Amino acid sequence: MHDSMYVKVIPEKCCGCMVCEIVCSMYHWDVVNPNRSAIRVEKKSVVEDIQHVCTHGKECNFECVDACKFEAMIKKNGMAVVDYEKCTGCKACEKACPIHAVWIFEKKAYKCDLCNGETMCVKHCSQNALEIVR
Amino acid sequence: MVVEEGCYGGKILTIDLSTKEGKRQKIGDSFALKYLGGDGFGAYFMNTVVSPKADALGDENAIILAPGLFVGTPVPTGGKTSFFAKSPLTGGWGEGVMGGRIGFALKQAGYDCLIITGKAEKPSYLHICDDEVKVKSAEHLWGKSTRETSEEIKKDEGSVIVATIGIGGENLVRYAVIDCEERQAGRGGLGAVMGSKNLKAIAIEGNKDIKVADPEKMMSLLDKWYNEMINHPSFEADGKYGTGEFLEWMNTERGTFPTRNWREGVFDERKEIDPYYWAPRYAIKNKACIQCTKPCGKAFVIKGSYEGMLDGVEYETLFALGSNCGNASIEALAKANELCDLYGIDTISAGGAIGFAMDLYENGILSKEEVGMELHFGDGDAVVSMVEKIARREGIGDILAEGVKKAAEKIGKGADKYAVHVRGMEPPAYDVRAIKGMGLAFMTSPRGACHLRSGAYALELTGKFWKYEGVDRLSAENKGKEIADMENFMAVYDALGVCKFSRSIFLLEAFGDLLEATIGKRMGEDELLIIGERICNLKHIFNIKCGWKKEDVKLPAKIREPIPEGVSKGSFISEKEEKKMLQDYFMARGWDKKGLPTKEKLKELEIEEFMQ
Repeated sequence: MHDSMYVKVIPEKCCGCMVCEIVCSMYHWDVVNPNRSAIRVEKKSVVEDIQHVCTHGKECNFECVDACKFEAMIKKNGMAVVDYEKCTGCKACEKACPIHAVWIFEKKAYKCDLCNGETMCVKHCSQNALEIVR
Repeated sequence: MVVEEGCYGGKILTIDLSTKEGKRQKIGDSFALKYLGGDGFGAYFMNTVVSPKADALGDENAIILAPGLFVGTPVPTGGKTSFFAKSPLTGGWGEGVMGGRIGFALKQAGYDCLIITGKAEKPSYLHICDDEVKVKSAEHLWGKSTRETSEEIKKDEGSVIVATIGIGGENLVRYAVIDCEERQAGRGGLGAVMGSKNLKAIAIEGNKDIKVADPEKMMSLLDKWYNEMINHPSFEADGKYGTGEFLEWMNTERGTFPTRNWREGVFDERKEIDPYYWAPRYAIKNKACIQCTKPCGKAFVIKGSYEGMLDGVEYETLFALGSNCGNASIEALAKANELCDLYGIDTISAGGAIGFAMDLYENGILSKEEVGMELHFGDGDAVVSMVEKIARREGIGDILAEGVKKAAEKIGKGADKYAVHVRGMEPPAYDVRAIKGMGLAFMTSPRGACHLRSGAYALELTGKFWKYEGVDRLSAENKGKEIADMENFMAVYDALGVCKFSRSIFLLEAFGDLLEATIGKRMGEDELLIIGERICNLKHIFNIKCGWKKEDVKLPAKIREPIPEGVSKGSFISEKEEKKMLQDYFMARGWDKKGLPTKEKLKELEIEEFMQ
């Protein structure tokens, strides 16, 4: 169902509220912790905020999957997803990602899985700075 | 088990800059439920840690930082953090509330409150990374702007959130701010307190999870309130035009937009400083505080004779550096705002001081020689120059950096007649001559003339809010209880860390569910209002211990002069009205005629031990 779907970022509209990071970690992990979020906002200057999130092959060739030596990053329904049983937090995926949209925290990888199609970040972005592209 | 299972960090961190020693204390449930967080914790620790006899710019003062209870949760617009210290501007209760990420980071590091005492030997910054705390040299950062300081520390420390001062704080400008990502703890000179401690910045990296008591309930409430927010009429108004959206209405429909150092209540030259003019031209997108789903900030790119960029310009600044100085140039106004942010000084007090100096100049009390330049109302370039002089304490700027009250004492020659302040604090953009309840609120606010401790301007100007209806802004009747009620209401917001621009959406009702989801304990309106009242009384107690006297609580001389034109023409607050409102307020508070809380009241609020 997720084939070729992804979250598109529109930095020109991002207000830097971090709500996307907050809801992402809350939805997936029942806690608030931007370190566990699969979308990150970089505050570059007073007027520049840029969101980073995986685009599931749109801007890459699934380098993260190729880089993983533990079969912990697997391709499923057109997405790269983390198998947390196998992930060792070795950082190979983080280093391989050409758009910096995979992060390691406490020996586990974090990246977008589209929330089973719910895309919580898109749903809670008050500025329409995130869009679902199918 | 609210602390353990809820959204608390669980500990209070105290750092003594003199000894470089730290101390951690756990907080318990009864403490958390009695004070909630934010302003509640500040009210407690200001009364237990800071000596009221302390010189505000001496070693004995402390800087206290406390995120509101909801900070670090998904509660929309619940990301506000309060800073506290004895104020070098008023000599009493000092506080500033900001929407920067510093409090969020502190909570993620495991702390609900940070208390900084003593004085560092040399320029330093505090680096907190979860359980590790270090005092590091900031000699290479001294003299740098807020923006540069934040960037440099991030380069060295990685993913930290930085709260810092600029040269305003270093130079002990009595209204210097603390800045975190272009958001400021703005009023009362808390930045100067940091400067006096040789503390350039606080850098925090927090990596811990913030729990909530009921994640499922939290997510469903998030959906509900997210939708309420984006469908509220203020969403579009704030989003398109920011906090200055109602400037034209304040000016024309109410006649209460203070102009030229409070000579007038309407600003005829206002066209370009109205966001309906400048937002489409200069604002490239919205900017938000953390956790906000209803942003009102603007990413402003200045073009034309001045260049620069800032997060602003807010309503109060459009008044202070705009109408109050007769300045109709939005470019000069935005530049002056950007400089205030970079140097770390409060735009409201800076504009108050510049407008005051312009008034003195035009009335022959300050000469061209004394000022070093011409200083007429309406000169936008002069406003920009004066911000520079104040932040650097150069020439006349050295005197104006003291705030209008002390500046008037130094200048003499009847300058005090032109000094617009309450207890040393320059007021925000509400001409209280025709918003009489706000006149009372200026007097009763614990930090001096302030619109946010009561937020009663909205109620007064529209006539209704919460349980109030038919309020007459031009009357001095029945204002005591109204202002006391509103202060209690707002103290709850500052304890929870909720943005006051959400007050008509959440009221107090919404917090029952939100508290249940975040800390597992539902609280009703009455229960919350008692906490609000407790906080207000504790702030007042601190002021009393600092020497607060009823006789010092008075409105400035200009408030006795009728508004000369506009729809509120002829309105002013008489001495009789002023005294009556204040007595009504004392009575509504359960205080005696001198404004001192009675033993019974303090016992009722379970804070009698603070008044001995």
